[in-house]
Amino acid sequence: MNDTNGRALGPTRVADSLLRSLGGQSVLLRLPGVATAGDDTEQLGLSVPVFQDVTIGPVVYRKLRPTVETDGTIRAEMLVSSTAIEKQVGSLQFDSASVFFAQAVGVIVDGVLMRIESVTVSELFGKPYLYRLELATPLALTT
Amino acid sequence: MENAKDTFYITLRNRLAALNPDRTMVMRGLLRPGILVEENEIVSAEMPRDVFVLRWKDAAVDMQQPLALTKLQCEVVYGTDGNADNAAMDRGRLLTAMDAELAGILNPGHAVKMNYAQEPVTAMSTSLFWSDAAYGPIVSEREHLQRTATVEVFSYEEPEER
Repeated sequence: MNDTNGRALGPTRVADSLLRSLGGQSVLLRLPGVATAGDDTEQLGLSVPVFQDVTIGPVVYRKLRPTVETDGTIRAEMLVSSTAIEKQVGSLQFDSASVFFAQAVGVIVDGVLMRIESVTVSELFGKPYLYRLELATPLALTT
Repeated sequence: MENAKDTFYITLRNRLAALNPDRTMVMRGLLRPGILVEENEIVSAEMPRDVFVLRWKDAAVDMQQPLALTKLQCEVVYGTDGNADNAAMDRGRLLTAMDAELAGILNPGHAVKMNYAQEPVTAMSTSLFWSDAAYGPIVSEREHLQRTATVEVFSYEEPEER
């Protein structure tokens, strides 16, 4: 149920302030370009799409509960402001934030492309105020 | 081997589009037949539903032939969650329909090998051929049903492929 009297903006502002006070860095989200119709080469791995990096922030990247999988993959969490996501979803004309994250190749943190394993959203009064991304390091960096 | 892998995928994709035009997926904004080669797509944490995923596994080469005969093992992984409107109670029927579709697109079990790495795409001198699917058991996790079928794909390596 959506809030119509502005109450829903409160949690968003609090979340943004909290993220900024905890460091509030910006990261890049890597998105692939739209596939080319009638071109088999991308489907065969002969060519790759053009990638676009968009800045999202404030975010807090943390390894508060890092886990190391049996294959050596290191997982970490990233908290992302809903303000940043809404801005990109709107400007890039995605249907929703879930589609936006589903399309993304990963998040670039300090030059390392990390794969998005899962996304959970925190809502209050029917409006998202914080996204929690579970990230995994590429296998090349796990040794 | 790459030409055999490419030809196998494109053949199955085109046959699927003809057999069941409704089995589609949207990949990076493009509507495509519902079949893909896992190693050619962006790494994803989640297996797509109601789509055939080709996964290339073992490879072997028999050199005791005038032309080297390669054998490639291809796993075809597919699954469904059923229809949410039907409370997923139709998931068994949907998986059986995918079993039948797989058998349909694998028949006939041969195709002229094509070279997709050059423009225009050219037909090569030999054909590739493949076995019937060996269907593995259904793996069930709550409403999700998944099966892996295995197909062996054979191809002669032409001199220009070496």
